[in-house]
Amino acid sequence: MAYTPQYYPGSTSVGINRRKHMSGNLEKLRDIPEADVVAVMGHRAPGADYSSTHPPLKEMGEPDCPIRQIVAPTAGAAAGDRVRYSQWTDSMYFAPSIPYWRSYWGAINCKGCDPGTLSGRQIIEARERDIEAYTKAQYDSEMTDVALCSMRGCTVHGHSLRLEENGMQFDMLARTEMGSDGNVYAVKDQVGIPLDRKINLGKPMSEAEAKKRTTIFRVDGIPMCGKVGARKYDEAVDALHHMWELRSKWGFRPE
Amino acid sequence: MVTESDTGSIQVEIIPSRFLLPATAQKLLNEIYGNGGIIRIMIHGPNLPRSVPYGPGRGSPIDENRDLLIEVGGQAFELSVKVGRIRLELESEKYYEGLKAACERALPISFQIRRGKFFHTRQTITDYAKYGKVEDTRILGLIDPKAKQDRLAILSEENVAVHDEER
Repeated sequence: MAYTPQYYPGSTSVGINRRKHMSGNLEKLRDIPEADVVAVMGHRAPGADYSSTHPPLKEMGEPDCPIRQIVAPTAGAAAGDRVRYSQWTDSMYFAPSIPYWRSYWGAINCKGCDPGTLSGRQIIEARERDIEAYTKAQYDSEMTDVALCSMRGCTVHGHSLRLEENGMQFDMLARTEMGSDGNVYAVKDQVGIPLDRKINLGKPMSEAEAKKRTTIFRVDGIPMCGKVGARKYDEAVDALHHMWELRSKWGFRPE
Repeated sequence: MVTESDTGSIQVEIIPSRFLLPATAQKLLNEIYGNGGIIRIMIHGPNLPRSVPYGPGRGSPIDENRDLLIEVGGQAFELSVKVGRIRLELESEKYYEGLKAACERALPISFQIRRGKFFHTRQTITDYAKYGKVEDTRILGLIDPKAKQDRLAILSEENVAVHDEER
């Protein structure tokens, strides 16, 4: 029997969504052209060459190493690309992905990446052509709602702020805007430099849809303990307590 | 038992559940102004920089945050924050119900309104550094201690004493 990892405990919708994010088995909601993703990332002009830090591995003559023989390099590593980043800010108002879940998704599903989680933002670093593919995967999948999540390389403020009146996450640099047709447009790259054209990111999720797809536990949404008033807490809390106990006792050996 | 005076001024805070667009902010402020009885008012919210403050795009203009002119009570001024909270002092209790009704008329979203003490009454060192000796205590607590003095907009017809020429 093949083993399928469970990744995250619990039977609440948030628990199920967290499992989905970690397993990488995500629904694709939109298809943003690769050139547009590259433009929003802002590291290179779409169609331009990748800058590199070393020659392609094939030309370098690698040392005889069993690990290098076992592990195939990613496309970016094989070509010697520079390491680049994409950084996301997800609103705590029921954004589909919260910072830790982007990191779990990256660490489990993306080869050769370095995810980092901060209080209100999440960054993934990888070789340039790899990070472009990973960013596109994040943009296209249900991890991202174009109104509640946005790519922000700097001035990331927005995760814990109230939403704007039109349902967009607050952005000091106004990198995305709600069009009159109801679509969200990216007008600047992730560091706030204006793009030469508006990029249509599609329609945002409705409030109900965002609540359905979110991975954040909230008392006004799905609380971590499961159903309010239930006699038994959700398994997620049991597992959390278990981990907390083991972490607290770790290394403690009363003789 | 302490009985509160019903003739003194009261301080009120209005917190909408979302940040307001400039048009809604203008509507709300005009409704509040129309209700009357305002001694002073403060608009609070995240800063809207005119250009990218740091990072690789530093200095790039943010056109969306420029010329956010709103007109309140016949006077125009420029918004430099996203309106997320309004604090004001009313002349007396009798304007409070009207203020609530004004918010209900102007805001398309839910909001909280509460009474309390939101402006400080004694001059701080920062106030002294900014204004010198403050004669008119109405200006105390109107702007963030770190903000520059130009964030203070005086729309009153009466002469408000802000003496900074001596410094």
